[in-house]
Amino acid sequence: MTNETPVGGLGHSPIRFDGEAKVTGAARYPADSVPLSALHAKVVFSNQPHARMTSLSIDAAEAIEGVLFVLTAADVPVNEYGLTMFDQPVMIGVRDTGRSAVPADVSRWEADKIAVVVAETAAAAQAGAAAIEVTWEQLPIVADVATARSDDVLVHPEAGSNSYHNLKIRKGDIEAGWNSADVVIEGTYELPYQEHAYLQVEAGTAWIDDKGRITVETGGQWTHEDREQIAHALDLPEESVRVIYAAIGGAFGGKEDMTLQIVLALAAKRLHTEGIDRPVHCAWSREESIVGHHKRHRATIHAKLGATADGMITAVEADVWLDAGAYNYTSNKVLGNAHLSVGGAYEIPNARIDSHAVYTNAVPGGAFRGFGGPQGAFVAETQMNKLAAALDMDPVELRRQNTLRDGSEGISMALLPAGVTLPQVIDACAHAASEPVEAAPFAPIASLPADDRSVVHGRGFAAGYKNVGFSFGFPERCEAEIHLHGDAGDDAPTAAEVFHSGAEVGQGMHQACLQMTAQATGVPLDSVSGTFSDTAHTGDSGSASASRLSWMAGNSILGAAEEAEKAWRDGQRPAIGKFRFTPPPTETLDPETGAGQPNFAYGYMAQSVDVSVDVETGHIRVDRVISTHDVGRAINPQLVKGQVEGAVVQAHGYVMSENLVVEDGRIKNPRLSQYLIPGIGDVPEHVESVILELADPLGPWGVRGMAEMPYITYAPAVVAAVHDATGVWFDEFPLTPSRVLAGIRSS
Amino acid sequence: MHQMNLEVNGVSYPVVADASRNLLSVIRTEVGLTGTKEGCDDCECGACMVLLDGQPVNSCSYLAAQAEGRAITTIEGLAEGDELHPIQAKMLELGGVQCGFCTPGMIMSAHALLERTPQPSEEEIRIGLSGNLCRCTGYAKILAAVGEAAVEIR
Repeated sequence: MTNETPVGGLGHSPIRFDGEAKVTGAARYPADSVPLSALHAKVVFSNQPHARMTSLSIDAAEAIEGVLFVLTAADVPVNEYGLTMFDQPVMIGVRDTGRSAVPADVSRWEADKIAVVVAETAAAAQAGAAAIEVTWEQLPIVADVATARSDDVLVHPEAGSNSYHNLKIRKGDIEAGWNSADVVIEGTYELPYQEHAYLQVEAGTAWIDDKGRITVETGGQWTHEDREQIAHALDLPEESVRVIYAAIGGAFGGKEDMTLQIVLALAAKRLHTEGIDRPVHCAWSREESIVGHHKRHRATIHAKLGATADGMITAVEADVWLDAGAYNYTSNKVLGNAHLSVGGAYEIPNARIDSHAVYTNAVPGGAFRGFGGPQGAFVAETQMNKLAAALDMDPVELRRQNTLRDGSEGISMALLPAGVTLPQVIDACAHAASEPVEAAPFAPIASLPADDRSVVHGRGFAAGYKNVGFSFGFPERCEAEIHLHGDAGDDAPTAAEVFHSGAEVGQGMHQACLQMTAQATGVPLDSVSGTFSDTAHTGDSGSASASRLSWMAGNSILGAAEEAEKAWRDGQRPAIGKFRFTPPPTETLDPETGAGQPNFAYGYMAQSVDVSVDVETGHIRVDRVISTHDVGRAINPQLVKGQVEGAVVQAHGYVMSENLVVEDGRIKNPRLSQYLIPGIGDVPEHVESVILELADPLGPWGVRGMAEMPYITYAPAVVAAVHDATGVWFDEFPLTPSRVLAGIRSS
Repeated sequence: MHQMNLEVNGVSYPVVADASRNLLSVIRTEVGLTGTKEGCDDCECGACMVLLDGQPVNSCSYLAAQAEGRAITTIEGLAEGDELHPIQAKMLELGGVQCGFCTPGMIMSAHALLERTPQPSEEEIRIGLSGNLCRCTGYAKILAAVGEAAVEIR
């Protein structure tokens, strides 16, 4: 096969093949394929942040016209689930029914499920939900980490303590580190929740397919993990369950955990048992979506950074407290990432870091683009920027001196995987920031027209790293299958098909799969087709998360293409190649010292941000962002830039406006009119992507993961720019005008 | 139940629906055109944007019965056969589409904007699209696509 780049292979930006359906309205999202015969399900939340169920009656609900039945905890064979720990009941019930590692009679979250009403219409299901009679014994609400830390009230008594997952790092000699420090920077940072606010809220349809499998069509991030959790709760072999993804309207980590999958499967199974051969559909409202799924963790982090007078880091200490909420979701893994990143991407000789995930009765924290990295990097980079200010040193030069480089030992006392390009990324960003703006910035919508005399300007910088792929000993893998088509006498195949489960959540994963298949097989892109995201036809690819999918899928496609090529040479038509890629193994961290090799690959980033601040109104405008990334190799440069621009604006919302209010275990503003994500008038004026292609030694064609990285360093760069403009450090955000004004006035 | 005739994309659909039903749900479930999306059901996100006699309207918060006798245009009505409307074509070409869920509403708002303001400034495009939320793209490529579509239409 040819080594030349086929048309539409890597490095090209052809129009994405799924795009036309999206611009014409033909694309089918989970709420768009509701068969006319479908029944409708309504999920009933407990609405109790902490209470023990004392009675539940569904008689009145089942008597309502149009209601077929109501599912409760008694209908769940194994009443537990969870992506990394089975600590959550599928439904809360009066007695512990079914097998469950977690007591199922206590609601620990306002969105714990107590029933699912299945009815002829959505209106009948709603009426049935309203007719459910339930009584509760109230328990004290553990509202936040500060309350939880005393362990006076345990959210999960079976865990022994609310601080249920704890990590340590003990590196070098911390006392010697402080003794050699000329400057010490110390601060406590309060980091807010963030809601994913994907435009497409949760929905799905379930039925029994022609092979008798319980089939759930929905949107998610990992078909095979959804299937595994459904099968576990229903006590069925995985082969009896099928998960298909429709077009998915955004995820960002928010669709990594179960919402409707298990309850839809339960409903389909019950219908089948009763001899009712009809599909069942469920769609959440926006409010149900915001209340009913996890968030980026709110966190309290205390940190100390020591350095010599010439800017060499001598010591880092940090105490990280993540509010895990009522259930683990992926908090244990998110905590690991925050733990590794809170010191920054620097050579740190001496460190003490203690990190804790803490159960409360608030909304669970979980996966969201960056996965603990944003909280860690905000603290690490703000500490570094404060250090630069204290030393009166160029913040870029400070980073050049301390940056991780090839051969560096990481914070967990293991060598960084080869290909550490942070020094080059920092230099490229600093260089681009010194260049004039490419094009004139757009005219702003001046919601608060500024008096020129009151507007001050500033520039901030931040840099960092983010692991690619799952960490801490997780058995990482990714499967692909490729079919090469052609006649027996053909030298080369005329068409290729790829089978892959990788979730297309909007990022362009399926387009990237086709381009990588073209590159790997030499078949032109317009003769490559794909079958995606259906456990009946595609192997386990792992999740669309951790910036891992291009990296992992590319390696799996390379392996499958090689196998298919062998079959082709053996005369097989179609020539079929299957491959399961596994990267180098990783390790859990030592419980006492934190030593271990947690990751097999990283991506590196640096950002420069220019702001204007109106000191009379507190209004901030971000004028220019230089977002610099080593992506190893850009599979599709337009999609890469799309990820950069989208991530920057998501992070812009995080640092500027998004303010989820959670009090006494209840979300107070579950609406997009009350929780403000950026609109087109609220975004940075000018976002410039600087893309480096310095190969990852293990990446397919050198590819590195990149989708989370532009998010992670943005908030600290903005805060540094605001400090540069105003002289005020903000250790808490979002930077609403009132907070900014209060900060300026109190300084 | 209310009997009504809705004219969607030039086709008349007889519909029987409760008078309280909103236009979005009737278009999606009775007319059967699911390109128009529900993102919030409360005029917050713009995913359900359709045109009524050329004017953009959040169909989630508009009664279907009120739309009788008016020309309703949905995303399915923009392309002429296989020929994409220039806004659709530019959104594809310039990468303004990621997950695509906001895309139909975004394109309908852009269409209404270019009908009333054929040569919009960037600020006018921002104002014209200010009722449509997108969580994927950061808006830059959407802004560019609408700007280039305006040039192409001229």
